[in-house]
Amino acid sequence: MIKLNSKQCRIYRVRVNDLEAPFLYNDPTLEVCHHESKQRNLNYFSSAYTAAVSAVDPDAGHGELVIKVPSELWKQGDDLKVLKVYIEFSLDQPKGGLHFVVPDVEGSMAERGAHVFGSCDGKMKIFSCHRFWFPCVDSYSELCTWKLEFTVDASMVAVSCGDLVETIYTHDMRKKTFHYVLPIPTAAPNISLAVGPFEILVDPYMHEVTHFCLPQLLPLLKHSMSYLHEIFEFYEEILTCRYPYSCFKTVFVDEAYVQVSSYASMSIFSTNLLHSAMIIDQTPQTRRCLAQALAQQFFGCFISRMSWADEWVLKGISGYIYGLYLKKTFGVNEYRHWIKEELDKIVEYELKMGGVLLHPTFSGGKEKDNPTPHLHFSIKHPHTLSWEYYKMFQCKAHLVMRLIENRISMEFMLQVFNKLLSLASTASSQKYQSHMWSQMLLSTHAFLKSISNVSGKDIGPLIKQWVDQSSVVKFFGSFAFNRKRNVLELEIRQDYTSSGTQKYVGPIKVTVQELDGSFNHMLQIEENSLKHDIPCHSKSRRNKKKKIPLMNGEEVDMDLSAMDADSPLLWIRIDPDMSILRKVEFEQADFMWQYQLRYERDVVAQEEAISALEKFPTPASRLALTDILEQEQCFYKVRMQACFCLAKIANAMVSTWQGPPAMKSLFTRMFCCKSCPNIVKTNNFINFQSYFLQKTMPVAMALLRDGQNICPKDVLNFILDLIKYNDNRKNKFSDNYYRADLIEALTNSLTPAMSINNEVRTVDNLNADVRLILEEITRFLNMEKLLPSFRNTITISCLRAIRQLQKNGHIPSDPSLFKSYAQYGHFVDLRIAALEALVDYTRVERSSAELQWLLSMAQNDPVHYVRHKILGMLCKNPPFTKTTDSALCNEALVDQLWKFMNSGTSHDWRLRCDAVNLYYMLFGLTRPSCLPLPELGLVLNLKEKKAVLNPTIKPELGVGAPDPVSLGVCGVGQPPQGLKRKADTPLGSPPEPGQVLQQQDDDGRGARYKIRVRHEDIDMETVHDSQAFIHHHLNLLERPSTPGTHTHTHTHTHTHTHTLIAEYRNTHTHHCRGHYIHVTSYKQALDNKKKPAKPGSVRRTSTSAGRG
Amino acid sequence: MADPAVASGGPLNAGARGSAGKATSSPAENYLLARRRTLQVVVSALLTESGFESAEKAAVETLTEMLQSYITEIGRCAKAYCEHTARSVPTLSDTVVTLIEMVTNAPVTPKALSAGQKRTHPAHIPSHFPEFPDPHTYIKTPTFREPVSDYQVVREKAATQRRDVERALTRFIAKTGETQSLFKDDITTFPLIAAQPSTIPYLSALLPSELELQALEETDSSEQDDQTDGENTAGNAITDDPGADKENSMLPPSGVVPSTKASEDNVIDNPYLRPVKKPKVRRKK
Repeated sequence: MIKLNSKQCRIYRVRVNDLEAPFLYNDPTLEVCHHESKQRNLNYFSSAYTAAVSAVDPDAGHGELVIKVPSELWKQGDDLKVLKVYIEFSLDQPKGGLHFVVPDVEGSMAERGAHVFGSCDGKMKIFSCHRFWFPCVDSYSELCTWKLEFTVDASMVAVSCGDLVETIYTHDMRKKTFHYVLPIPTAAPNISLAVGPFEILVDPYMHEVTHFCLPQLLPLLKHSMSYLHEIFEFYEEILTCRYPYSCFKTVFVDEAYVQVSSYASMSIFSTNLLHSAMIIDQTPQTRRCLAQALAQQFFGCFISRMSWADEWVLKGISGYIYGLYLKKTFGVNEYRHWIKEELDKIVEYELKMGGVLLHPTFSGGKEKDNPTPHLHFSIKHPHTLSWEYYKMFQCKAHLVMRLIENRISMEFMLQVFNKLLSLASTASSQKYQSHMWSQMLLSTHAFLKSISNVSGKDIGPLIKQWVDQSSVVKFFGSFAFNRKRNVLELEIRQDYTSSGTQKYVGPIKVTVQELDGSFNHMLQIEENSLKHDIPCHSKSRRNKKKKIPLMNGEEVDMDLSAMDADSPLLWIRIDPDMSILRKVEFEQADFMWQYQLRYERDVVAQEEAISALEKFPTPASRLALTDILEQEQCFYKVRMQACFCLAKIANAMVSTWQGPPAMKSLFTRMFCCKSCPNIVKTNNFINFQSYFLQKTMPVAMALLRDGQNICPKDVLNFILDLIKYNDNRKNKFSDNYYRADLIEALTNSLTPAMSINNEVRTVDNLNADVRLILEEITRFLNMEKLLPSFRNTITISCLRAIRQLQKNGHIPSDPSLFKSYAQYGHFVDLRIAALEALVDYTRVERSSAELQWLLSMAQNDPVHYVRHKILGMLCKNPPFTKTTDSALCNEALVDQLWKFMNSGTSHDWRLRCDAVNLYYMLFGLTRPSCLPLPELGLVLNLKEKKAVLNPTIKPELGVGAPDPVSLGVCGVGQPPQGLKRKADTPLGSPPEPGQVLQQQDDDGRGARYKIRVRHEDIDMETVHDSQAFIHHHLNLLERPSTPGTHTHTHTHTHTHTHTLIAEYRNTHTHHCRGHYIHVTSYKQALDNKKKPAKPGSVRRTSTSAGRG
Repeated sequence: MADPAVASGGPLNAGARGSAGKATSSPAENYLLARRRTLQVVVSALLTESGFESAEKAAVETLTEMLQSYITEIGRCAKAYCEHTARSVPTLSDTVVTLIEMVTNAPVTPKALSAGQKRTHPAHIPSHFPEFPDPHTYIKTPTFREPVSDYQVVREKAATQRRDVERALTRFIAKTGETQSLFKDDITTFPLIAAQPSTIPYLSALLPSELELQALEETDSSEQDDQTDGENTAGNAITDDPGADKENSMLPPSGVVPSTKASEDNVIDNPYLRPVKKPKVRRKK
């Protein structure tokens, strides 16, 4: 028996070595819970879903398509001879996998800029969805070489993996065929395709690199790609290894599934990453995306994972070398800032949602061993993961790589990578020794072994702590200075009981800045020791006028008058290098934070100090922050953060605040004309640091509040003046982000309207300030229609402002404006902003109409990303939660959402997981409270029903029925349920299983039970297999006698496929299961070679034998 | 004998006769004759004044002829002067200049009409040239306003102007097209131009607007060159594409752009730039 992955495809016929082979095609994930179950809880769903995914898991040798090798060929199989498998299939209106973008305008497909691409969650690469568009072994661990052919319209270009060998016209000269060869063994999920009327740009620095973009965007492409060669050089240099593929292609497509996705020798990006030379803010982001894509080319595409549990190694390495690139390009400050940001993110997520486990081991394979019981989804398969979780998983993976680097040094780290890459490239050139190819797959074990070989160090404890175990560490630190002993008594406590935390035992670094210098101390955190005594080096009474040495060797003058006269301590830092995944809450006096902010040179320390100073609204804090703001040597992101902190402090000190509003005079000094201080200089953004500061300060200032808790009049006027006098004519750069930020500042200045007994808001009773603000917003919004800004940033800010005005009761709350901007056909950023406003509206107004509107868009919108975002935003800002009561929470909604995740999202893993998240957010794990109580004696009832309806089922009941509530028996109730369904309204959404159940009503009955019996015979492991059997047998009855004609009809029904991809062919040869696929007009042949070797193949063969 | 007749009865007779005798002639000719008669009368009167008793007809005719050409010449010259100074109706000064030109003594402006102290000729002007006119005719007092150079005011003005233009423009567009409103009861105070979905939304969102390109042009010419260059090639690519089907498709669509570049950098061997091969007849699946 051969099992392959395939979804959505209509399979007409399968032949093995020219012999017709019976096959089963069943996709258990189409509908997760196979009946109108009374069970409406997530625990049930999630285990059923996990079971469904397991049932077709290619890593476990399963698949949706099960081909029974004809008995005549068994002998050949046993002799390990090559089997050739032909599969004829068509793809009819695919909902997932391939994404078609066809703008609705006149003209040919090429003129319209229509294109198609593999819309797999490429970046993630976990949700391998290749089974959506052709039958394959959809696993990263099944390598083979490829030959691919695509026939497309003559005006189109087909970009795919590997080398383009030649392009040939078809006989009528109206189409051309692109022939690709990928000689490097590659797994199916790393294969992709993009077809469109692309403009082609050969990289001027590297001729083997080709860039593709949609028509008219070539100038942007030229500019955006002008930097790529430097990234190439960087990676090749640090890895001391050539880029493994002979060519590289970047394709920029519209409506991309994710921003960046990497495949073997090609990457697909969102077209929105392209920008012109005038755009500042987008530039670093685009470069980061390029760098990420390229890092994944080495680790992720060329070297791929052995199994899902090893995913963290690849994500970790690619994330880690991407970090090195950041450090080199954007500087150490940016790098450390980024590390802190990522660390804060993962810490926050784990503390809120529970731990993220990098290397799950499923020894028992039973639910009881679930390593992450706190999650509402299973982490056993990539397909069941929540998107958010996976993002955090990646984040943690690269942070852990950095921890390993801290432990073994960067040199060793890079040596390890180099070793892995050179092993892999040696292996990849072994054309006929496919057993060597396993070197191209990386497992946790191999990685760790390589590390210990290269470095000779044991990183076992580190791995155990952060990889094999989830959660982060939470420290609380405080100290006292013992003057008599001249000793610092440091107390470090841990919280390891709350969710997402673990206990840390081991070394921790503490840095103490004293008067005589900075000193590092390694402390040992042990089971029960909280207190640590650290001897101080300096005498408390200081020698005046002496310069104070800092950690980096610098010596500075400090005004020490603020210090405690008795102690020589300036500031203390716990784990300054971030070598533990932790959150530290440390208590020290305000002046210490102020010294730390002013004099510590590490940006992380400065940022920590700023966050801490929020709690100390004193003139001294104000001074420290203002000084930092003015200091040009200081990292700009620190200065930006200081703006917001200063606003908070000013608000806390409102009664004692002296002088003009915070930052106003500073801004005037920095950015306004000398002669007329109320007028801002004409824009000149040559200096990016001051550009970012100029953008940020008004936004922070608008957060200032006076005694009545409203924004001071002169701050508002100041911002309005900035808008009025903004003049970008002499600027080399676009000011769209700046203007968007000024609108954001206006938004920030809004405070709730004085409520005058709930009167209706009209133009006449508009507050005078609000009128001014509204005037500006109207003008901006209207101007944007005539002169759109880059990525419509200004409209986005305006929409947010309008929502804020509505929310604060200044103007009537009304969703219609947002709805019009949320429509398909607007720029995607704009749509997301409008949808965000709608989500907020739904929550505030508790509008069920809007909720329905959003949900229907989440189900029907053509853009995957928008659908994903709608659900994501609903989760972040839910209309109600499991703990609150709401009129919105009703049975119909539960049903709708249930159906959506159960069967409406089978074509998109990500969307399904989003829906699961939302369901969890709204209703929790258990039965939603709004549902009527389940009928008493459900079990009994079910049994009765069964008994009444079908006594023959009894033997089965023995297996499944004793505990219907128990998980993982989702399919058991089928026979009675099938009958029940007939009585109810049929479940519309999923065609296949539903139909099957319907069709079988009369004639199927007898047959079905026969199949049941057979099912026992052939020992199918899961219920899904039996389902497949039923399905298959029914299908047999309906199968067209002449598949050719059938194919024909389908080519007509599906125009997209017809025009764009007429045919493709691929060849893989493979160590354990190579395929030779030859497709002509939707016919595919698959050839299966069984080669000697590998435990994997043995396992597979034996399963096959057992089954067959 | 003839003189009185000529002098007194002339005009009337001439008029009567002229109109009678040349009844058939055109009115223009009539006027011509009438003017001639008038001149004859004038000449006769002058002769009489000068003490002539009588004159031969031929002599009167000749004198009339002379007078007429003299007057015509004055008129022609005066007209030429006036047109020379871009006017259409001659003024007194035109005539005066003419008379000077024709070496006649210009009529002297009556004393009562002249005012102020006339300027004397500078050395380089010969004394026979006419005197300067009265000072009031050429003395000027500058009346333009000082250009505003105060930075604050300029900025203020520029800002207001831009704002006004923008507001007027957007209001106009809003008035002439579909709008959305934030208030249900009042749709005119803050009219928002309705959001129109576009078929290819990313184009307008990503490509810099004309205005921005223009601004760039002003600030940095080298940068800008690059830009328009790109623009042109992009434009070419678009216009090329539709027609590209048969002939041009020897190259992949819009592959034109890099390939021209390729020729500069010598050969770039990129598979996407290679020509598409013709199908081999023999080998067909």
